[in-house]
Amino acid sequence: MDATPKPEAPVSRRNFIRGGVRVAAMTGVGGLLGTLAGRSTSGATLWQIDPQKCLRCDKCATECVLQQSAVKCVHAHAICGYCKLCTGYFNPEPNDLNTAAENQLCPTAAIKRKFVEDPYYEYVIDEPLCIGCAKCVEGCNRFGNGSLFMQVRHDRCVNCNECAIARVCPGDAFRRVPVSHPYLLKTVGH
Amino acid sequence: MNPSKRILCRRTFLKYGIGAAGLLGIGGAVAMRLRHRPSPAAAQATAHPFAYELDAWRQTDPQLIHYEQIGQIRSPHADPRRIAIGPEDQLHIAAGKYVSILDRQGNAGTDIALAAEPRCLAVAADGTIFVGLRDHLEVYHHKGQRTAVWESPGRKTWFTGLAVGENDVFAADAGNRLVLRYDRSGKLIGRIGEKNQERNIPGFIVPSPFFDLEIARDGLLRVTNPGRHRVEAYTFNGDLEFAWGKASAAIDGFCGCCNPISLAMLSDGRYVTCEKGLPRVKVYGADGTFESVVAGSESFAENAKASAVETSDGAQGGLDAAVDSQGRVYVLDLVAGDVRIMRRKTGLTGASALELKGGIKPQHGCHA
Repeated sequence: MDATPKPEAPVSRRNFIRGGVRVAAMTGVGGLLGTLAGRSTSGATLWQIDPQKCLRCDKCATECVLQQSAVKCVHAHAICGYCKLCTGYFNPEPNDLNTAAENQLCPTAAIKRKFVEDPYYEYVIDEPLCIGCAKCVEGCNRFGNGSLFMQVRHDRCVNCNECAIARVCPGDAFRRVPVSHPYLLKTVGH
Repeated sequence: MNPSKRILCRRTFLKYGIGAAGLLGIGGAVAMRLRHRPSPAAAQATAHPFAYELDAWRQTDPQLIHYEQIGQIRSPHADPRRIAIGPEDQLHIAAGKYVSILDRQGNAGTDIALAAEPRCLAVAADGTIFVGLRDHLEVYHHKGQRTAVWESPGRKTWFTGLAVGENDVFAADAGNRLVLRYDRSGKLIGRIGEKNQERNIPGFIVPSPFFDLEIARDGLLRVTNPGRHRVEAYTFNGDLEFAWGKASAAIDGFCGCCNPISLAMLSDGRYVTCEKGLPRVKVYGADGTFESVVAGSESFAENAKASAVETSDGAQGGLDAAVDSQGRVYVLDLVAGDVRIMRRKTGLTGASALELKGGIKPQHGCHA
């Protein structure tokens, strides 16, 4: 019996390339999974606006890198007074309390007014129309309960490392929040 | 004349040409600059294209201001909320967790410590002090001892206004949007202002915790209905007698979503009203006709900047007013934390001439 071991065949170029491609593919998949896993951990953060610091300027409308800002007006219905004369909806001195364009404060008519029962009206934000100018937020906070306020909507925000709005925000209202708590909402006091 | 002198040499021609071109250039640049300079309005619009414009209403016509400030008192404690005048014109200020009693000159006297923030205040003719905490009323002797704690009407109760008469105590409950009538021992004997079509009562609309009332000398209650921008008069039994007021940012109306926020009464039946948003204190005649301004928005710079807070507690904005026996109006600025003493200007004609003579009996039992 011949005990002499056979010499191993040299690795062919084809096998070398095939193996290399496999290793590269596995590394890539691993890296991708690692990135995705990292995004979902509690360490990741998002931009958000602190409603208590927001000065209701128009920087959210004019400074966002997106053509239509990722910042939108949101409405805390639990705080809302359902006023017939909503100062977030109407100009300071409207001709009449109806939905005519000249009476509305919003430049894009992004607030919908719906009769509930005398004398209460419900106000709903049509987010695709909202440009984040905060005009309604100022009106609501100036006279009313402040149920309208600004928030970064994460379905639009691209989460820039350096947020263009945060850089110029006069109230320093932008801050990083954990992904697990992406919004800073107003609450009812009583 | 030597003809050779009339001929312009090349050097001189070039010198004048360059000079003229330079002047034209400078002139053109200046003209272009002036042409493209934005107007003040345009500059403002560019600076803040989505501005919420209230400037037109922030300045008061000086002709309408019939009062002048004659004094100023700092609130003894932070976070002042309400003010009331006692039977000898003592000032009662509810601030923080205290009710402080000050003499006519503003010197500090008794300090009554409370378990929670007082939301409203009324002083009876005998000096007894009624204090509304969030959900119940407490009674104090004028020396400061607590004499009674009345049972809370319910969890939703949010007292914001008090008035005390000879036999009755009325409490404005913003949480339930009605006025509760008690006897002086604390027994609940009536509910006023609930929506009732048969009695032609539309109901109170109170979007924020500002809801106030007074007892007038004609024996009727005057209650603010801020969501309807008016003042309503009720009998003690709850019949609606009349109402006045209109919504408008103009000086003769009540601005914003919900005003007036508080009320005081002059001895001749005229009203002193306070507003938020555009902080201003005004006087209306007994029939509700606008008469004059005590202090306009320009007088409350810090207050005008304040706005709603997270909890809608209403603690960070607004004004309150009280009237003393001389017809002087005491205006409490919740933001600045001070009381301004306002006196009607001399030389003005009108119904309030009586005030200047003094000797009019104080409006006992009116918290503000």
